[in-house]
Amino acid sequence: MATLTRQDLNFGQVAADILCEFLEVAIHLILYVREIYPSGIFQKRKKYSVPVQMSCHPELNQYIQDTLHCVKPLIEKNEAEKVVVVIMDKEHHPVERFVFEISPPPLLSISSETLLSHVEQLLRAMILKISVCDAVLDNNPPGCTFTVLVHTREAATRNMEKVQVIKDFPWIVADEQDVHMEEAKLIPLKTMTSDILKMQLYVEERTQKT
Amino acid sequence: MSRDGWRKKASEDDGWGGRGGYMAAKISKLEEQFQKDAPREKQKDGMSSCIFSGVAIYVNGYTDPSADELRRLMMLHGGQFHLYYTRSKTTHIIATNLPNRKIQELKGEKVVRPEWITDSIKAGRQLSYVPYQLYTKQKGLNFTSVCARGKQDPSSSHEPSKPDLNHPESDSIKPQNGSCSIISEEDAERPRVNGIHDGDDDDYDNACALLPRGSQDTLLTNGYVHPVNGALKPQDSFAELQSLISTASPAKQPGLHNMQKDLHPKPTFKPGTSAAPQKGNLHDQKRVRLNGSYHMTPNSSTLADSSNQPGRSGQGAEAGIISEFFSHSRLHHISTWRNEFSEYVNSLQSRSRAAGGAVFSGKEKLKKLKANCSLMAAPQVRQSCILHVDMDCFFVSVGIRHRPDLKGKPVAVTSNRGPGRVAQRPGANPQLEFQYYQRKQNQYRKEKTDGDLEMTPSPQCDEVPSNGVDLDLAALSMAEIASCSYEARQADVRNGMFFGRAKQLCPDLQSVPYDFQAYKEVALSMYETLASYTHNIEALSCDEALVDATKLLVELGVTPDDLARAIREDIKEKTGCSASVGMSSNILLARMATRKAKPNGQYFLRSEEVDDFIRDQPVSSLPGVGRSMSSKLTSLGVSTCGDLQQLSISRLQREFGPRTGQTLFRFCRGLDDRPVRSEKERKSVSAEMNYNIRFTQVEEAESFLTNLSMEVQKRMEGAGLRGRRITLKVMMRKPGAPVEPAKYGGHGICDNFARSVLLAQPTDSGQLIAAEAIKLFYAMKLDVKDMRGVGLQVQQLEGSYADPSGQGPSRGRSIKDLLLAKQPAHSPRKDPLAQGQSSVNRTEVTPPSSPPSTSSDPMPGTSKGGLHHPHTPNHVRTYLNVSIEVPSPSQVDQSVLEALPVDIRKQVEQSWRHREEQPSTSSHLSTPPRTSSSLPPGPSLGTLVLQLPDQPGQPCTTGIILELPDFSQVDPEVFAALPRELQEELCSAYRNKGNAQAHAQAQVEQKNPFPQLKQPAVGKLKRRYKKRNASPAKKGPSPLKKLFPGNSPAKSSPSKTLPLPLKHFGGKKTENVQCPSSPSIDVPETLSKLNPRPVPTLAGAYEFSDIRTLLREWVTTISEPMEEDILQVVKYCTELVEDKDLEKLYLVIKYMKRLMQQSSESVWSMAFDFVLDNVQVVVQQTYGSTLKIT
Repeated sequence: MATLTRQDLNFGQVAADILCEFLEVAIHLILYVREIYPSGIFQKRKKYSVPVQMSCHPELNQYIQDTLHCVKPLIEKNEAEKVVVVIMDKEHHPVERFVFEISPPPLLSISSETLLSHVEQLLRAMILKISVCDAVLDNNPPGCTFTVLVHTREAATRNMEKVQVIKDFPWIVADEQDVHMEEAKLIPLKTMTSDILKMQLYVEERTQKT
Repeated sequence: MSRDGWRKKASEDDGWGGRGGYMAAKISKLEEQFQKDAPREKQKDGMSSCIFSGVAIYVNGYTDPSADELRRLMMLHGGQFHLYYTRSKTTHIIATNLPNRKIQELKGEKVVRPEWITDSIKAGRQLSYVPYQLYTKQKGLNFTSVCARGKQDPSSSHEPSKPDLNHPESDSIKPQNGSCSIISEEDAERPRVNGIHDGDDDDYDNACALLPRGSQDTLLTNGYVHPVNGALKPQDSFAELQSLISTASPAKQPGLHNMQKDLHPKPTFKPGTSAAPQKGNLHDQKRVRLNGSYHMTPNSSTLADSSNQPGRSGQGAEAGIISEFFSHSRLHHISTWRNEFSEYVNSLQSRSRAAGGAVFSGKEKLKKLKANCSLMAAPQVRQSCILHVDMDCFFVSVGIRHRPDLKGKPVAVTSNRGPGRVAQRPGANPQLEFQYYQRKQNQYRKEKTDGDLEMTPSPQCDEVPSNGVDLDLAALSMAEIASCSYEARQADVRNGMFFGRAKQLCPDLQSVPYDFQAYKEVALSMYETLASYTHNIEALSCDEALVDATKLLVELGVTPDDLARAIREDIKEKTGCSASVGMSSNILLARMATRKAKPNGQYFLRSEEVDDFIRDQPVSSLPGVGRSMSSKLTSLGVSTCGDLQQLSISRLQREFGPRTGQTLFRFCRGLDDRPVRSEKERKSVSAEMNYNIRFTQVEEAESFLTNLSMEVQKRMEGAGLRGRRITLKVMMRKPGAPVEPAKYGGHGICDNFARSVLLAQPTDSGQLIAAEAIKLFYAMKLDVKDMRGVGLQVQQLEGSYADPSGQGPSRGRSIKDLLLAKQPAHSPRKDPLAQGQSSVNRTEVTPPSSPPSTSSDPMPGTSKGGLHHPHTPNHVRTYLNVSIEVPSPSQVDQSVLEALPVDIRKQVEQSWRHREEQPSTSSHLSTPPRTSSSLPPGPSLGTLVLQLPDQPGQPCTTGIILELPDFSQVDPEVFAALPRELQEELCSAYRNKGNAQAHAQAQVEQKNPFPQLKQPAVGKLKRRYKKRNASPAKKGPSPLKKLFPGNSPAKSSPSKTLPLPLKHFGGKKTENVQCPSSPSIDVPETLSKLNPRPVPTLAGAYEFSDIRTLLREWVTTISEPMEEDILQVVKYCTELVEDKDLEKLYLVIKYMKRLMQQSSESVWSMAFDFVLDNVQVVVQQTYGSTLKIT
């Protein structure tokens, strides 16, 4: 009876764990691929059986970790709709938005040993798509920065302020400026549907980057 | 003979046989009864005498005349009859045959053949017993039989094959004896007794218990006799039986024992006249209860029948073992009364219907009463009024109705007569079990048990902490109290408490024996009383019923209180027992009112009081709120209905699932719209045995399953039902739990497992069920040694019709039904042939072996531990099967329905009812499919298989379009029912289709494996979902056919396939898809492993490769795209956006771009632009940006 039922396991938690781990890898990779940071700070690692790049800059890593740490509870509660890695130019206008759109899976269940390898396959495909996304994207202007936005459902933000997962790491409501991108073009990268989550990744790109 | 080991040990330390012990009490009571009955017997029979005065006999084993007859004779002629052997008192042992071992043990006793008694009576004086001594005969016939047995049974082969003639009383029956009582009984008490008491007493016990029956019965009972303590070993016993038969020797008769004693109230036995059987009853009753694990199967009315007809139980010795178990289980019997009473009410109704109106004597009386005191101006009750009539501590009040001395005293109905102490058996660890339940107790809120004799079907309920077990329990009697009087309840004695404990709490507690005959009488007269008022009665159990008095009150113009008073008085008068009546506007409230009315009162809960009343009710008083749910509610801070009212419906639904949530939401507000149903449809047939399951070999388990299956078959036959889903439930000893539970033969602490399988067609064949059950059993990979309980359940029932073809009823039915079922939704009639063909389209079972299977195929073995178990291929392969989908009631135009001929309408309604019957486990709708936009409501998709051209203007739409469903979905039975040529046609069509889909299939598997993964945890997938989703797959090839006649790769389907613009699909979709908000959420699970979420489809295709093929066909074969088709593509793209599958959208768009812009026709370019523009708008709206198309 290897079946784990809904009662045995908190699905949200499992999904959130998996997803956050993936997001961390993905953010590092995006930063590398989109050349936000010099490639020197990145190290080649292996994740999901494919090579990925990971920053070894402690502060950056910490920031990413903290961010995801705060995102996790939201994902667990299914309150996060999108996690967006926004790449902004010098004027802090977004030029690219990597949108991880998370929806609840069609059927929430964890049932078999094949699950993990299956999810891993899907995540790997997504990672690979990210690694090659520069092919479909225009180059970014120099001096870009990045930020992470979370699109939440309902009144999740209010709760977030009340319960700060990490002290002194509060979230703020994003400026319209950060979010809005004029004349954006949408490039779907990958859609995955698994037992524990359904996610699609697309990039919104400003038509005129410079 | 492992039993013997502990038996000996136990007998050393017991104090059992001693004074004041259980046995002493029992024996003295039996004597008492004997003395009491003797004069009566003498009266009845004139020729009495005193020839046997001073003689006390004990009958051992099978005799002719029977033990019972001998008992009667002894009564008549001044002798004594001992049910238990006591060396000091018993003067003669009567036997015709004794095994060697026993003979050895009985040395020095007078063992006499029964002829001694009969001859003495004939002679009118007590003859010398010497010529009748048994050992003189020992040499002859009997001896050979003993030898034969010795050979058959290895366990006794070590016995000397030649009995010592000098020890006439020696005896070899011992081995079987111990084990047969163990095996045969649902009992905790008797075997314990056996184990501790002297072996001789065992024999007495058994022998006395022996009642005369036909030889068949005897054999049957012998089936119980097992030298091994593994619960059942039919094989062996049958072998033994064989030997018995062949040697024509009753050598093993003593083993007959208790089974027979158990006799169900045989019509000939009046409670008072037969002390011994009566006594047996008492004990057996307790057994069942004690054991606790015994699962009451409320649906098994057949059992009652079989137990009432001794002859019936003789069908086949194989089934004997289990059927005996059930037919002798008292509680089981009682539980079936409800069905009997339901039937009783039904028969009353039908009789009155036939007679053109019934005579309600009670009603008339009340009417007169009303007329007499005309001042009693009762307000007309317009509101519905339900009466809940419940007898006050039924078992107690029946038990003491002829014993006024016990009135007002604390009384408990139980089987224990002694001081309530027993010795602990070795191997048992009651402390550990106690701790286990105590832990559980901490989890669950302690629940108050209420009402009489709670027949809780839950396997562990009887061992709930409220049993009052304490650490001392090892020494206390574990006989449970079936019911106790209100006086006893004041002393904190509770129903279901162990008697020993109760005795501690309330030393004055009197125990009253079970009296099943009386229960039945009283219950029947209660129902008769109720039926004298109205026939709107729903039988809830033997002592409670619901009465819908709405009409009655209006007619009589009396108040509910008057009616209740009249009913109660009537019942009191006729039965001598008091009843309480709760009245309110619905069932829920009526039942709650009864709580308030008790004891011996009535309470009318007025609708204006409901709010106040219900607010203070504990949640546990709501039906369906058991321990686990109330503990969950407690964790939510809810203890009363008032608290519950504070929770929103969405919250409740989130916590408990949509259906339960809504029910709770309604119940805690006192809302309940369940009708009083005098007739209840049965949902499952099951047989379960949790007592004394101790297998040592896999083979034992197998043969046990076979027997259990036969029992199920018998029940299904009795009920005239067949079922499709077979569930095997197994209780396994929880790791770490003591090997020997506190309760003798009980199951102890267990883990429950269940597996089920869906058959291709309904069955009631025990063989088939057994085969499936064994397969399930092996699939579960369990250690047989740890098995403690086995149950088989058959669900998804339908009536079994006499079907000469033997293929089950659905075959003959389906096409006709389809024809009929389709009528309401689509009025235009189609010619029967077309109907016949179309029926193939409605599909159900997925043979995994079918070559052109799609992703919807179940993968046998992939589902782990879930309830689902794909059916093994070999059954499906042979037959095809049809089922028709009748649109759910909400979706049928009532006027259309009404316009239908009566019989057709009936069939439609029947199919609705049938659907409602299906077990509903809707924890699922919490995520309602967001389909409405893409797939708007309509009858479920599968229904519309035949499409009549609805656009006469179009040249290509004449004729009937036949869509090919997935082969996997073809119902095998229908297929088989089709004419030869049609079958061939279909086969070839599928073959072609299979080719076309072959590679798409591969992709499906690879890309989208989750359907397989998710299955097990999903447990029960809704058929409705399946239908909706199945349809796209099903339509897979046809759009191609329709779109591109001549070019389609799957075009070889029947010639009736005609091209049809894509649009039709859109149109049909709109019409066909099941509305997500449809009330019929009660959809049974299916085998299909399809994604429950609708996948966006383009003319049925949803895999990208299919879409690509489709688009390519479209663009390359048609020079000018039709507008409808373009719109269809746009619609598909829109759905993709909504489904958040931008990746696919992107691929589709890019592919179209390539295709269309390459096309020489500029119209295609324009078409693409049109599509793109539309898609961009949607994307823009959804994401705020547009797709980047390079």
